[in-house]
Amino acid sequence: MSLNRIDAIRPQPGTAGRVKGMAAALIALSLAACASTGQMAESPAEDMNDPLEPINRVIFSVNDAVDTVILTPIATTYKFVTPDPIENNVTNFLRNLRSPVIIANQLLQGDWHGAEVAATRFFLNSTVGLGGIVDIAAYNKLYFEPEGFGQTLAVWGVGEGPYLVLPLLGPSNPRDAAGLAVDILSDPVWMVSTEAQNWGRSAAEVIDVRARTLDVTEDMKRNSLDYYATVRSAYRQLRAARIRDGAADAATQIPEIPDYSTAEMPEIPDYEPESEPESGPAPGS
Amino acid sequence: MKKLAKIAALLLMVSAAPAAATDDQGARDFIAELGDRTIEILRQPDLDAEQSVAQFQDVFREGFDVPTVARFVLGRYWNVATPEQQQEYLQLFEQMVLETYARRFVEYSGETFTVTGTRPAGDSDVMVESRIVRPDGPPVNVSWRVREREEGFQIIDVVVEGVSMSVTQRNEFASVIQRNGGEVEALLQAMRNQIANARAG
Repeated sequence: MSLNRIDAIRPQPGTAGRVKGMAAALIALSLAACASTGQMAESPAEDMNDPLEPINRVIFSVNDAVDTVILTPIATTYKFVTPDPIENNVTNFLRNLRSPVIIANQLLQGDWHGAEVAATRFFLNSTVGLGGIVDIAAYNKLYFEPEGFGQTLAVWGVGEGPYLVLPLLGPSNPRDAAGLAVDILSDPVWMVSTEAQNWGRSAAEVIDVRARTLDVTEDMKRNSLDYYATVRSAYRQLRAARIRDGAADAATQIPEIPDYSTAEMPEIPDYEPESEPESGPAPGS
Repeated sequence: MKKLAKIAALLLMVSAAPAAATDDQGARDFIAELGDRTIEILRQPDLDAEQSVAQFQDVFREGFDVPTVARFVLGRYWNVATPEQQQEYLQLFEQMVLETYARRFVEYSGETFTVTGTRPAGDSDVMVESRIVRPDGPPVNVSWRVREREEGFQIIDVVVEGVSMSVTQRNEFASVIQRNGGEVEALLQAMRNQIANARAG
């Protein structure tokens, strides 16, 4: 990072200006100092917490390749071939099977209301909902709420740990990965099913989730400058939202967005759709 | 004594009221109106894609506070960018967001948009909650963070299922800059490429 950045930040006359100038110079210097490692001293809210980033990126690309070549075509075909109501039935059925694990974790988190809702859902959907394929409970405003041991650990105060990209499973962290393992091992439905049934169920869950997230991931991928970083950020926020059960506010969801003085901002000239940005490369180059 | 206590309590209440808090109902109406105007544009049969996008752009510029969002997204790197870089960044940011939303916009096919409620956000903003029902999928909860200014209301963040678009982009841009040795220029180049690709494809 070149030191002429500091030239651009000139101290203003007066004490306040001197402090401002010094602060800016300090920022510039610390940036320069960190430039070689690419690491930044971050405020807690922005800490990437991704010490394994190089290897995570590699695994991420491999996952992405497998996804592009194998999973996305399957999910797309599934979506194309299956009528929407049937897709919903499959989702409902699979979610219903997860009920024991969900109920158990609601109890472990001390969420009695959540446990009650989950139990009622399980009962209603399994009986009136024809074995779980119809989400009758949702008509009574008892909505599905995903829960797992990873979330329970979080509620118990276990920190998430560094960001991890797991082979095939995708974005995760040590706490959530451990939680996932516990979810599988403690699942009564898993225990009473044959191996073939369990494999079938796993495959169905993977395709179901992939089909439901196809357009979101495509949109994210297309609009990202750094797809890996976008997924990392979105994953973390999503987990945080699930852990607090979608309740309003956390430092991440309601970030402090200052009221920037408009006097400090340059004017944005009118957007010309036809013209090329002057300093940009020709498209496709 | 009692009377004094009552007056004191009254004074405390008045002084504790937040200054210039965004008006809930006003924010709600603002979002609902933006939604209506956007759908109106989509419904016009004899507008070609370019004209629709141009009209959408007007609505967008009015309703979305690009400078604030752009500045927030760049975070600390704003202060290490030169004024020329800052200016270019703001231009590129607006173009990028327009391209992104214009493309999503063109894929619209019969979704319905309903405002479902409001709640406070931060010191004085309002989170307007809405639901978008798509014909081929479950409904999506989208929250619009609205700030009131003298000129009117503007959106400063969009939160989808708990994921804030501004925070996500902020983390993403920081990542791009950090991976390129702290160079803001690298981000600007990535943005130019992104815009060029969007126009080409």
